[in-house]
Amino acid sequence: MGGASPAPESGGGRGTKKRPLDAVINVVPAIDLLACTISFLLFTAVWTQISRLQVQTAGSGGPAVAEEKKQIQVTVTVGERGLSLSTTAGTAVEIPALGKTPDGQPVQDLKALAEKLKQIKSEYPDQSSVTVAAEDGVLYADLVKVIDAAVGVGLASVSVTAAG
Amino acid sequence: MPIVLPGRRPAKRFQASKILGGKMAHGRKVVNADLNVVPMVDMMTMLVIFLLMQFSATGEILYMQKDIKLPDARHGQTIEVAPVVAISQAYIVVSGQKVADVAEVDKAEVFAIPGLEEKLRDEKKRWDFIHQNDPDREKNWKGDVNIQADQKVPFRILKRVMFTAGQAGYFNVNFAALDQSNVQAVAAR
Repeated sequence: MGGASPAPESGGGRGTKKRPLDAVINVVPAIDLLACTISFLLFTAVWTQISRLQVQTAGSGGPAVAEEKKQIQVTVTVGERGLSLSTTAGTAVEIPALGKTPDGQPVQDLKALAEKLKQIKSEYPDQSSVTVAAEDGVLYADLVKVIDAAVGVGLASVSVTAAG
Repeated sequence: MPIVLPGRRPAKRFQASKILGGKMAHGRKVVNADLNVVPMVDMMTMLVIFLLMQFSATGEILYMQKDIKLPDARHGQTIEVAPVVAISQAYIVVSGQKVADVAEVDKAEVFAIPGLEEKLRDEKKRWDFIHQNDPDREKNWKGDVNIQADQKVPFRILKRVMFTAGQAGYFNVNFAALDQSNVQAVAAR
């Protein structure tokens, strides 16, 4: 003890060979594994992130949304002139379109709609349902944006119906 | 002319020969070369981590099609496995099979789309067959259908598709959209 006996690695004794302290790790299997994993992940990768906006067809006979306290009926009508928001509590707001695209389609004021829906949500925190009524000429993109705005403020239970 | 150390040196023709016992031969290049693979392993590890974060266990449910351009949505949910009704500006396709022409649907007096209804009923029958031994089959039936429509498809077509889906028992409609929630999060930073 006390340093009398030399460490086996350090040699020191007669006839003992010095072991090299440097060790070489064979990384080839690790590279093989990584290459295989990368190939698999590249083949199975999903590059386009697609999401869904769940809606119910109004009057389709599907499961009815449970009635909660302090709920009103909120209806957003999407048309060529713009958006129209009405509730059974007496609110009726017209949100005119911001303009028209070169195709002649209206540009809906979604920010104003989101603000109005946010107001309703703050007045009725239990409110979770909204009905979106669309005219025949409304494009899928506009419908999706209106539903997205409603879901964004917490009105997640969306029913879609035809206007008029 | 190169600068050389003074001293004995053979003639040029003896430089490569062993006639002088190799004494005049200068240091030969070592054939074995060590390749530094550490940066490559680092890069591959980063790539694996990135791809694992991108990995989706459900796989690709909706395939992007040339004639269908999806709108953007920021508050969508993760898409689930369900029959896919793809509506381009020309055709209505269910699970890769054309069921109707949009122009004909637009003109038709009957509100429902017969080809679509038949195909969706087939899909429901298939689901029933798969779950025939499930005692809670009726409870587990959610009636989900994914609608992948081009952003310029008008609502008059959509409502017919939705009505037909409802007729076939699919009352939970999922509108497909490109997920922009990540884009929004990045922009907020």
